[in-house]
Amino acid sequence: MEAAAAAGERFGARLAEDLDPPDIRLILEVFRADVGRLGGVLRDSAAAADMARFRRAAHSLAGAAAAVGAATLEQACRRAMAMAEVGAEADSPPARLPAEAAEIAAQCDAALADATAYLSGLDGG
Amino acid sequence: MAAEPGARVLVVEDSPTQAELARALLQGLGHAVRLEAMAGAALEAARAWTPDAILVDIELPDYSGLELMRQLKAEGCDAAIIVVTANASINAAVEAMRGGALDFIVKPYAKARLAVTLANALEKRALQAELGRVRARLERDRFMGFIGASAPMQAVYRTIESVAASRASVFITGESGTGKELAAEAVHKASPRAGKKFVALNCGAIPRELLESEIFGHVRGAFTGALSDRDGAARLADGGTLFLDEIGEMPLEMQVKLLRFVQTGTFSPVGSSKLERVDVRFVCATNRDPMTQVREGQFREDLYYRLYVVPLELPPLRARGDDVLLIARDFLQRSAREERRKFNGFSPDAEALLRSYAWPGNVRQLQNVVRNVVVLHDGETVTAAMLPPPVGTAPVDAPAPASQPPPPPPPLPAPVPTPAEPPGAVTVMPMAEMERLLILAALRQTGDDIPRAAALLEVNPSTIYRKLAAWKSAGKLPAG
Repeated sequence: MEAAAAAGERFGARLAEDLDPPDIRLILEVFRADVGRLGGVLRDSAAAADMARFRRAAHSLAGAAAAVGAATLEQACRRAMAMAEVGAEADSPPARLPAEAAEIAAQCDAALADATAYLSGLDGG
Repeated sequence: MAAEPGARVLVVEDSPTQAELARALLQGLGHAVRLEAMAGAALEAARAWTPDAILVDIELPDYSGLELMRQLKAEGCDAAIIVVTANASINAAVEAMRGGALDFIVKPYAKARLAVTLANALEKRALQAELGRVRARLERDRFMGFIGASAPMQAVYRTIESVAASRASVFITGESGTGKELAAEAVHKASPRAGKKFVALNCGAIPRELLESEIFGHVRGAFTGALSDRDGAARLADGGTLFLDEIGEMPLEMQVKLLRFVQTGTFSPVGSSKLERVDVRFVCATNRDPMTQVREGQFREDLYYRLYVVPLELPPLRARGDDVLLIARDFLQRSAREERRKFNGFSPDAEALLRSYAWPGNVRQLQNVVRNVVVLHDGETVTAAMLPPPVGTAPVDAPAPASQPPPPPPPLPAPVPTPAEPPGAVTVMPMAEMERLLILAALRQTGDDIPRAAALLEVNPSTIYRKLAAWKSAGKLPAG
């Protein structure tokens, strides 16, 4: 597995290797918007025990996190995806779903903080 | 290895962050990028934008990337498809390749990895396209009016393509009815001269005293009846192609003048001393062996070597294997449409007869046979019993070897007798008898080529077939 989580890479490390600051800034802005939107979808779908919607949002968020090197958030999302698949097969929401949603929310906050710090570094702050 | 910059890459990715990352990396590699988040929209974009490569995420909101690939392939999309997946398992890769992907890449991917994967996929796509072109060239069954997929015809097509761009003279040999004029026209149409005229002159059909004027033109008063200046074939073909058919029939004194024209590109119209210069490409044809004619003193050796630059030998129909069936089916379709018949194919026994017959009159004879059947019969399938003799009576198990010289061409569809006297005397007689004599004279003049005789008489070939059948049943034609 070549995902950011397995590589244990630092937030934004690969972006810095391959892209110029204006591109990185644009990608991180899109990432922040993704996290805000998908975090809300995860919260709502967990509350509604909508396993399919929860899994899709977790999948999208995992992809966004992998793109910027937010390894811990990506790992949390992939765990949540696997859990949602099990829940969908069993036709009953897993008991740990609220806890996983809360964990993802916490990791979202951490990734957003990383993104803000990274952007501030790009701006010379 | 990196892809040549400038490829059009469609990225199908529903995660905006991943999509923006792909756009930035690909634009950094010099490629044009279009993003789509849904499979349905990507399908539309692939149709409208015709990308060189498509990066497809497996998980898409509307349907899966694998299903999208299947639809793209079903529509004939030739873009290099690369599957993007977060799961690097062998199963995912195998499934992606089975679905038509040329490669897969695991996200998140580095720019260098993306560059190599894309370059490999685009190279594979280019090789596949080249392979397709080569296959099409080797297996084509139609070429500029020719019908035939046999190996000898593939060689003919290749020669025509190779020689077309050059200015070199082409010397076409082949039995009567093998398509020499069609080959000459193909050389012209495939050449840079295609926008100019293709002028064909049958040296064997023009009286020797008129041949010089036909080729070089004349000025007013050059001879009795030359009431005005008239351009000849050489002037008309300026910038284009001059096709001299039956060149072996050209009188020796005319060959001298043609040689000068070929050597210098200049000529004088009959009755004029003024030299004119034109730019023509020469294509000649004969159904005789030109070297034998040279040895026998009927064809000038110097002219032969001037014109015999690129030889193009058209194979006889008996050497073309199943081409006879391809041609017969095509003629059947066309003739049935023209004659408003229902025919749409041949029975197996009819095909066996067509395949085994030696066709001494080649494609022209086959055309006559098919037309004969269509005019005189009706139905959906041509049976062996409908084929006129000698085709219908040929033994199916004894095909003529390709190398065997053809037997004398039989008259088709039925033996046509030579009229007792030509109709030119204008003896007053019943109209029907005059018609009969005219048709028979036209057949004699064209060597029993019914379509050509019909063209001379400006009637439909079917008219001649019907008349022949009626005369035969009325005993107005000798049997045999």
